[in-house]
Amino acid sequence: MHVPILKQGPNLIATVQAALTDADLVELRDELAAKVGNLRSRGVVVDVTALDVIDSFALRTLRSIAYTTRLRGAETVIVGIQPNVAFAMVQLGMKLEDVATALDLEEGLALLNRELRGGGNHGG
Amino acid sequence: MADETRVPIASELDIVTARQQGRGLAAQLGFPLGDQTLIATAISEVARNILQYARRGEVRLELIQQGRLRGIQVVARDDGPGIADIAKAMQDGYSTSGGLGLGLPGCRRLMDEFDVDTSVGKGTVVTLKKWVR
Amino acid sequence: MNDPSFQPIQRSLLDEMGLTEKEWARRRAWLAFTEEDVERLRELNKFASSYADLVIEELYNHFLSFEETKAFFRDPQTLQRVKSLQKAYFKGLTEGDYGLDYVAGRVNIGSVHARIGLEVKWYMGAYTFYMRTVGERIFRQFKNDLDKALSYYFSLKKLAYLDMILAIETIIFLREQTIRQQQEAIRELSTPVLQLREGLLILPIIGLIDTQRARQLTQGLLGAIRATRARVVILDITGVPAVDSKVANHLIQTVDASRLMGAIVIVTGLSGDVAQALVTIGVDLSRIRTVGDLQGGMEEAERILGYRVVRDENPARGTVR
Repeated sequence: MHVPILKQGPNLIATVQAALTDADLVELRDELAAKVGNLRSRGVVVDVTALDVIDSFALRTLRSIAYTTRLRGAETVIVGIQPNVAFAMVQLGMKLEDVATALDLEEGLALLNRELRGGGNHGG
Repeated sequence: MADETRVPIASELDIVTARQQGRGLAAQLGFPLGDQTLIATAISEVARNILQYARRGEVRLELIQQGRLRGIQVVARDDGPGIADIAKAMQDGYSTSGGLGLGLPGCRRLMDEFDVDTSVGKGTVVTLKKWVR
Repeated sequence: MNDPSFQPIQRSLLDEMGLTEKEWARRRAWLAFTEEDVERLRELNKFASSYADLVIEELYNHFLSFEETKAFFRDPQTLQRVKSLQKAYFKGLTEGDYGLDYVAGRVNIGSVHARIGLEVKWYMGAYTFYMRTVGERIFRQFKNDLDKALSYYFSLKKLAYLDMILAIETIIFLREQTIRQQQEAIRELSTPVLQLREGLLILPIIGLIDTQRARQLTQGLLGAIRATRARVVILDITGVPAVDSKVANHLIQTVDASRLMGAIVIVTGLSGDVAQALVTIGVDLSRIRTVGDLQGGMEEAERILGYRVVRDENPARGTVR
C-alpha cells in the first residue's frame, strides 16, 4: 500500500496507514529521500498514528528514514506514536534516540518551525 | 471462538497476519488494549525471527487455562539453524535496534512467561504466555 | 430447575471462577463422584420429594431458634423466598442433573448468602443439617437393606462435599473481587496526574514503586500526555522512599516512553547522593533530565515551554472582603 506524501511549504508530510507491510516502509524511505532531494525540503513529518504495533523492523526503518533525510538536509519528526505502542516499545527495549518525536502532526510541524527559526528544543 | 489458530510464516505479510490474529484472540479473552498491543508486538518479533533466521515456520496461538486464570499462549516454531549461544541471545545488549539481535529479552518483558527450546541444527521453539489479570 | 425464584443463571461468573466443563469433570473425578452415584441419587428422588417440605421447615426452624441467625429472616417475604430457594436446592440434590447448570445454581445460592452477610459458620452448618436429617430418614426407610442405605448415604455425602467446595469457592472469589477493586481504587488515588499549565503535567509519586505500579503509572501518564497534549512532564520522586536500580530503570522506561510521544520528562526529588549511588552501580542516568527539587523543576519546565514568571512588585495582601 503506497504511503501518500504531501508537500506543505518547506516540509513533507507522510501519513502511514494501518496495514503497513515491510516493503511499504522501505518504499516510503526511498521516496522520502528522493523527494527531499528534489524539492529541497527542510523538514519531514512521518505520522504513525495508525500503527497499532511498532516492532523492531518498523523502528529500524523509521530511524533509517531520519538518517537518510538528514543526509539530504532535512530534519525528520516521527509523530503519533500511541500510548500503548510507546509502552510496548520501551518494554521491548527499543529507543528512538537520535530521532525527534512529537505528539501529533500539529506539534510536529510546530517543532520543525521552531527548528527552522533556529533555537527550538529537540524532542529528545 | 476457536481455541487454537496456526499461522504459517513464510513471508512478511504472514507476520502481519500472525499479530492481527493474536490481537483478535487477546481481545476475545478480555485483555485490556495495552496488553493486546504488548501481545501483538511480541508475536510480531518472534514471527520476524522465524522469517529472518529460518525463512519459514509457524506461529501457533492458543487459549490456555490454569485454575482460575485464562490466557494466551504463543508458540513460534521453526526448523532453522537454531540458536548457538542462548545465553548471549538473552542478554539485553543484543538489542533489536542495532539489527543484531533477536529481541528475545524484550519478548520476555512483554509477556508473563517465556521459554525457548533450541539447539544448533535442531530448530527453535519459543513459547510465550500472558494471563488476563 | 425451573423454579422461577431462581435468578437467571450467571454463566459469566462461572467463567470468571474458572468453572468450565473440563474443570467440573476433574472435580467430580477427584471426589470419585461417578455415574453410579448419579443413578443412586436419582433413585432417591421420589423418596426425597416426599419429605422435602418437612426438611425445609425443620431447617428454618433451626435457623429461627438461634438469635444470631434469626435476624436474617425477620422479614416474612425474605423468609418465604429463601425457603423456596432452599426447596429447589434440596430437590436438585436428587434430580440427577449435575452439569454446569447445577453448578451455576449452587454458585448463585452461595453468592446470594454471601451478599446478605450470612457468616460462613452458619451457612456451612446447613450442610450438616441436611446430612443429618436426610441420613436419618434414609436409614429408617431402608433399614432392611443396610448396604443400600449406606450406598445412598455416601453418594449424597459426595454431592454435599461438591456443593460445599463450590460454596467456599464462591465466597472466596467474591471477597477477592472486592479486594481487587479496592486495590485498583488505591492505585488510582495514589498517583494522580495533574495539569499545572497548558502543556505541563506533574506526577508526584508517593510510596514504593513496584513493577505493577510502575506500569500503571507509565500507562496513565502516557494517556494523560495524549489527552492534555503535554510537552513537559515533571516526575517528582521526593516521596519515594527507596530508589534502587530497579526503580531507576522503571523511571528510565517512563522517560523513554514519554519521549516517544514527544514529551520531555524532568525528574525532581532525586538527591545527589542517590543519583551518585545509582551511577556507581551502572545505571545510565544521562538520559534522564534531573533537577534537585520541585521548584527548580517547575522553573526548568516553564523555561522550556516559553513561560516567563514575573513578580508583581506590590501584590495585594490580606484577604479580600
